[in-house]
Amino acid sequence: MAYTLQYGQVTPYLGYLAGGAWLALQLAAIAFVIGWAIGLVCASVLEYGPRPLRWSVKAYVVFFLNTPLLVQIFFLYFALPDWGIVLGSYQAVLLGMAINAGAYLTEIQRAGFRSIRKAEVEAAETLGFSRVQIICYVVLPHIGKVLFPPLSNQYIILTMTTSIAAIFGVEELTGRTYNINAQTFRSFEIFSIAALYYIALTLVASVALYAVGRYFFRIKGRVF
Amino acid sequence: MTMSRFACLLAACLGLGATAPASARSLDDILKAGELRVGVNPTLPPRALFNEKNEIDGFEPELAKAVADKLGVKLTLVQVGSPDRIPFVVADKVDVVMGAMSRTSERAKVIDFTAPIHSENYGIVTTDAKPFAKLADLNSESVTLIQVRGTTAIPFIQKNLPKAKLVLLDNYNDRDRALAQGRGDASFDGIDAVAYRLKIFPAIKWKVVATPEYGVSYSSFGVAKGNYSLRDWLNIALYELHTAGTVEAIWEKWFLKPMDTKVPVTPYF
Repeated sequence: MAYTLQYGQVTPYLGYLAGGAWLALQLAAIAFVIGWAIGLVCASVLEYGPRPLRWSVKAYVVFFLNTPLLVQIFFLYFALPDWGIVLGSYQAVLLGMAINAGAYLTEIQRAGFRSIRKAEVEAAETLGFSRVQIICYVVLPHIGKVLFPPLSNQYIILTMTTSIAAIFGVEELTGRTYNINAQTFRSFEIFSIAALYYIALTLVASVALYAVGRYFFRIKGRVF
Repeated sequence: MTMSRFACLLAACLGLGATAPASARSLDDILKAGELRVGVNPTLPPRALFNEKNEIDGFEPELAKAVADKLGVKLTLVQVGSPDRIPFVVADKVDVVMGAMSRTSERAKVIDFTAPIHSENYGIVTTDAKPFAKLADLNSESVTLIQVRGTTAIPFIQKNLPKAKLVLLDNYNDRDRALAQGRGDASFDGIDAVAYRLKIFPAIKWKVVATPEYGVSYSSFGVAKGNYSLRDWLNIALYELHTAGTVEAIWEKWFLKPMDTKVPVTPYF
């Protein structure tokens, strides 16, 4: 009466799952870029902005860091229509992920700003660098090197987080896995294949990020 | 870590063929243990739900209790969800799985089903502003159907109503809310529980259109593939529960109406 693994039953769905993986990759990438931009603006405000603005950014960060993403998206998708704002599944999930990532990336990038030693900027000024030159040749390379590893980690985490989208009707990898599972009941087989797809997604991202880090920031990291 | 070591670790993590799943308990094992473990899904009221004492209650738990009483063992209810129902059986966490187990030939390749417990009648759930009167009316690009991921209606919709847009949500509560918010035009699904479910939206003028053209499906007990000792006993117990009127009585108590299609009871299985 032991269960027999039958991978042949689920191989016809590999292409369908790959489509879901592609959608997950898209979601993660777009949410990351938007989140990174939000984070950059908010981190700048926290470091250099006026006090009322600083407080409002702080409130945003505290709220989004201390509530689950699932609750945030649930609010965007199911609560906003009561105020007349009806977001589609994909928009609600993307917006929720981007705003949530923005809060995390605010803190990460703020740490980057704080890591610049005053002495380095002063030295550049002494050497007669203009403000633009200071940003290009002193601040950015420094911040890039410091921020690249945590930003990469955040991107990988975001890739995993895309699985939440299935709950709100987005047909990404997890959603499609559920669909096939419901039709075939081959749960072990289909979920293990989905796991392999996720590993492939994150491994490809890890290798790409490793190459970027090594080439642009001379970071000697390891993928494995 | 080298690539080969990584590959070994990966294979170990996924357990691809590395571990044989646990064997299911036979009827004798269950009698010896003095306990029948039944998987139910409390997110499918009134089939199963959490009552005001926060205990699992509903049609399926009550029927499972009647079955356990016939067997003379203690009933243990285990909460399962739609996607993990089968892993629960395979990993020997439950002996019998319920949770609206619709029988399909595809699913019967993986688990064994008993004779039917109850019929499943289908229809269109929509609001009275919509003109839908039959299934064919839904096959249009202007129609958005809101369905629950993993339900039996979906393969039918994909095959027979290909023009309709599909939005798949996680559970029936979300489906009902989305319909009430006007996120879609209709839902084609089981209508047995609709009377019970849609009471919480008194402001919405609901319309439920039965679709006999779809046919009737049946829900059964599910057991591990090859667990014939348990399946055969359950079939006999079910025959007795049907002929005594127990199944119908529990059904009417929870679904607030008689079963739309009576289960044809036969002594053979």
